[in-house]
Parts: sequence; structure tokens; C-alpha cells
Amino acid sequence: MAGRETNPNFMNGVPELLILRLLQQDEMYGYEIVQAIHTRSEAVIAVGEGVVYPVLHGLERDGALKSRRKTVNGRSRIYYSVTRAGSRRLAGLSEAWTNLAAAIQGMLAGGQHGAAIK
Amino acid sequence: MAQPSNELRPELRLALRERLLQAGVAPRHVRRYLAELADHLADLRAEEERAGRSPADAESAALIRLGGMEELARAMTEKRQLQSWCVRVPWATFGLAPLFLLAGAWSVALFILWSGWKIFLPGADTPFIPQVDEVANLYFQAGRALYFGAPILIGWGIGLVAARQRLKAFWPIASLVPIALLVVTAQVRASRSEVPGGIGHISLKFAWGSSAQSFSVGLYHTLVVLSLLVLVMVLPYLVWRLQRALVRSA
Repeated sequence: MAGRETNPNFMNGVPELLILRLLQQDEMYGYEIVQAIHTRSEAVIAVGEGVVYPVLHGLERDGALKSRRKTVNGRSRIYYSVTRAGSRRLAGLSEAWTNLAAAIQGMLAGGQHGAAIK
Repeated sequence: MAQPSNELRPELRLALRERLLQAGVAPRHVRRYLAELADHLADLRAEEERAGRSPADAESAALIRLGGMEELARAMTEKRQLQSWCVRVPWATFGLAPLFLLAGAWSVALFILWSGWKIFLPGADTPFIPQVDEVANLYFQAGRALYFGAPILIGWGIGLVAARQRLKAFWPIASLVPIALLVVTAQVRASRSEVPGGIGHISLKFAWGSSAQSFSVGLYHTLVVLSLLVLVMVLPYLVWRLQRALVRSA
């Protein structure tokens, strides 16, 4: 029997997706990233402020991000930006999430998939 | 306005650091995580103060927004790719790497012996001659220092790695015993081919004691030296364990 892809956790991969999307536009440090997610999602998506760093470290370790230390207003910050591998990962994640969102939307609207959940 | 202090509370910093290291997170990631959290906390505190809170209230609100110890630690320990090599593959870090390092150091030391023999003592049957000129003596001593010093330095390095990662004694000791065993049984031999001016050979053989001793005396001698050597190699790690035990009990 062919294996079926599952979505055990709907939030799985969301922080990575949002961070990669934000950093594709501009390099940022952790605090800026959290603020940007909060603002641009109109406070709908709230990520734990401190837990953004393990995601950043993990993405950097995987080669999706690179970092550099920069001093701004007398404070040394670690700025992150997306690498080429990160852009490819973002494209993959975006596609997966677009498909998932469309499928969920379809089910909620009671379309083709709606019958299955009656 | 005064620049906000970018320091985590010492108790949070210490507890989080210990928790992450014990969970196997690589020390460089732990160091950077703590520094980033401290910066983030300073930004949050400044933001809360700008919103009109008193410094004490701003500090409390900032700490809540940053996340609790459990949440901060779990986020990091769940990322397997942030674990150090000595936790992910301890058999390679404590088993293979020290052996390769020792093999490399001994290869260089034996090369120094062989090349010194060729350069400074071209006619001698052996490089182990007590009276050689000053330059030759320096050259041979460098090789000797590398030969005898490398195992000790490797042992101390293993102890340092284990201490930094808060590892229990099993892996460092399991790593040091084979190294020490190699050291006490290794014997460097030099020979020259029978033809006049023949090529010199340096080889390394492993045996219990010298050929002049009986097997039981050789074994006893080897075990005594082995125990002393393991003790010297593991000493920095033991000192660290003792220091930690004292700090905990205080």
C-alpha cells in the first residue's frame, strides 16, 4: 500500500515558514523577527519570544540561514539572512502550506471533501 | 535614557545553561542562545518601560514574554541538530577521534626520530645514542616530547570536552583506558638493514613489559604504570567533578 503523508501537528513548520519569509525580504535579529510576526499577522500568530532562537539556530545549522554580528546603536546583535538553500526550503514549505490551507478551506466550505467528514 | 542592562537573571542563566548542557546541546549554541536571550530581554524591558511601566514591572512583564525556563529549554533540546557531536556519536568522539589523534601525533614523533637519525646520525646503527650535539638533541627531544606529551594532552582534552558537556564519567574513562593501554605497551624499535649504509627502520610494537622481564612481572609493571597514567590523564576531569560537588553541597 502506498504511504500517505500525514500532518500530525498543524503548526509544525509554521515558525520556520514565517521566519524564512520575513528574512527573505531583509536581514533581522531575533527581537525584530518576533515583532514583525506579531505586527504582520495582526497579532493572530504569536510565537514564544525566546523560542524563536532555537528555530533560528536550527535553520542556520541546516544551511537555510546565515548570521553575522553587527553593532547597532552601541549594541552587538546577531542578524540573520536567508541563503540560497533557505530560499529553496521556503518555496517547498510555502507550496505545502498553500495546498494544506486550500484543502482545509475546501473542507470547511463543504465542497468535495466536505462529504467525507459528515 | 539609560541603556538597559542586557543580562539574564543569574539564577535563570545558570539553570538554563546547566539544563541545556546536560541535555546535550552543544556549548557554542548554549552560549549564543543565552546571549541572544539576554539581548532580547533587554529589548523587551525597554519596550515595556516605554509603554509606561516601572522598571520592576517592566522586568516582570519582559520575563513573562520571554518565556519560562521549561519552555525555553524544551525549544532548544527538541532540536536534535543542535546537539554536540559527543552526545550524538559518543563512540566516535571518545572512541575513534582520540585514537586517530594519537596515531597522528605518534606518526609525527616517529618521523622526527627517523629523520633525525638520517640527518644527524647517518652512520649509527641506532638513533638512541645518549651523546649527540645540541641541535640534534633539541630535534630528538621535540619528537620525544610529542611522543610522551600527546597522550596526556589528548586525555586532558577528553576531560575538557566531557566537562564542558557535563558528561558522566563513563565516556571519558572508556576513552582514556585504551589510550593509556596503548601508551604503556608501546615500544619503539629501530633497526638498519644488513647492507653497509642500509636504510634505517623505525617501528612500533606493543608488548607487556620488556623482553628481559617475565610475563607476570611485565604485566604487573604494565598495570601499575597504566593506573598511574589513567590517573594523570583523568585528573583535570576529576578536579572538575570535585569542584562541582563542592559547589552543589555549599
